[in-house]
Amino acid sequence: MILRLISANVILGLAPIALVIASWQGLVSFGFAPAALLPPPGHVFGRLLQQLVTWTFQLEIAATLIRLFAGFAIAVVLGVSIGIAAAASPAINAAVRPIVRVLAPLPKVALYPALLLLLGFGHGSKVTLVAADALFPILLSTYYGASTVEQKLIWSAMAAGTPRYEILFKVVLPAAMPSILTGCRIGLVISCIVVFLAEMITSTDGLGHALVTAARTFQAVDMFVPLITISLLGLILNALLGAVRSYLLRGFPEA
Amino acid sequence: MMSPTTLIRRIAPALACIGLLAIWQVASLVLKNDSFPTAIEAIKAIPDILSDRESLINILASLRRMAMGFGAAVLFSIPLGLLMGRSRAVAAFFNPLLMVIYPVPKAALMPIIMLWLGVGDVTKTLVIFLGVSLPVIYHSFEGAKGVEEKMLWSGAAMGLSPLQRLVRIVLPAALPEILTGCRTGLVLALITMITSEMIARQSGAGNILFNALDMGQYDTVFAMIIVVGAMGICLDAIFERIRARLVRWSEPQFDMPLSFS
Repeated sequence: MILRLISANVILGLAPIALVIASWQGLVSFGFAPAALLPPPGHVFGRLLQQLVTWTFQLEIAATLIRLFAGFAIAVVLGVSIGIAAAASPAINAAVRPIVRVLAPLPKVALYPALLLLLGFGHGSKVTLVAADALFPILLSTYYGASTVEQKLIWSAMAAGTPRYEILFKVVLPAAMPSILTGCRIGLVISCIVVFLAEMITSTDGLGHALVTAARTFQAVDMFVPLITISLLGLILNALLGAVRSYLLRGFPEA
Repeated sequence: MMSPTTLIRRIAPALACIGLLAIWQVASLVLKNDSFPTAIEAIKAIPDILSDRESLINILASLRRMAMGFGAAVLFSIPLGLLMGRSRAVAAFFNPLLMVIYPVPKAALMPIIMLWLGVGDVTKTLVIFLGVSLPVIYHSFEGAKGVEEKMLWSGAAMGLSPLQRLVRIVLPAALPEILTGCRTGLVLALITMITSEMIARQSGAGNILFNALDMGQYDTVFAMIIVVGAMGICLDAIFERIRARLVRWSEPQFDMPLSFS
């Protein structure tokens, strides 16, 4: 019964996706959109499969992934440590809070020209931009998670004679883990998007660059391919993070 | 009379701004890089930009596009999100599609949409609309899902129609969560606006920024960064005021926005 309910929901969910692809195909085959502007979906996905096995395209994906992971890793390390420190010490909190209030709503893409001037056109500026954009959601949710840890847990650990810094790793960090992972999930999607945009604006390699090159030569098919690739990467990484999450949170009731 | 601690809390963001500018000033003096002007030089360049008629028109055009995209997205997304939160069938229908669209970089759709609609306002507004919609839909959905069933039952018992229940019970109850989504959307609208103008260099604040970069007018570049940053901070502060007014009864979960790109 439950199984049937789930499969009914799956069919209902797949319907709009099928509908989108069907209307896309319809637009092309009934001649509303010329194939030069909107290539048929079969053509695009065929091209995608064909590109995925070529060495040059794999190099572009690798360049994008390196930047994405470097930036995301920096953001996770900085975000979690600053977030925990701000929750643990009132002095650090007083310093961090106003700075975050100012920097968080700032559109980080606007900093990209400055980063280009300071760090050059290579990996450095893109990695920094990714880290700057992914940092704040991770920092904020770490702070939120760590500052709502139940006081009783900390008191019991202290009563059991755990030193202060060990409480941080043994009690606060695990208790804040669900919130931290939510932040990481948001940060990961942001990283995917930002790395692509940075490569579109100025780059010599990477998926974003592939899209811009295709746009300059009006190759509509090749414009869709990098876009679909980065979206697939986002979905895959998101699923991987979901797996990590259910492994790390195996003791938690809601996970 | 304000107590000293609240006074400090009030001016803390301003102090942080001054501190960050001071760090910038010191860093540029230490680095002595031609392409990295000091904070004071950059601030001096701001009046030039703001008094220039053409760049002012450009910045206002950016803001107009942003307001239109943001407004349209909010009007479209809140009803959809609320419906998704209250009806399991609607949620099952839209959720997978939204999940697939979610990691697509919206500003990266620019070149493709430009092929169809040209480089004008329509394209940029559409991209901003796409960027803002998703977080607002998501938060409205979450908010509507969390509405207490008992209130809806009482509403039904008192003879409210489903539509009336949606407007008079679900909407107010989900409002804090919806506004969180709108705040995220606002930051996002600004990011998408700048990015779309960087890609289609035709008009707007992003266009001034990147043209200055190409022409090597580095103090203009940094001055524009300050202008855009100030825009973000002001819009966020204004929104926070409105939010506090509308949902005085609810404690804010985060007092800082979570930005999405």
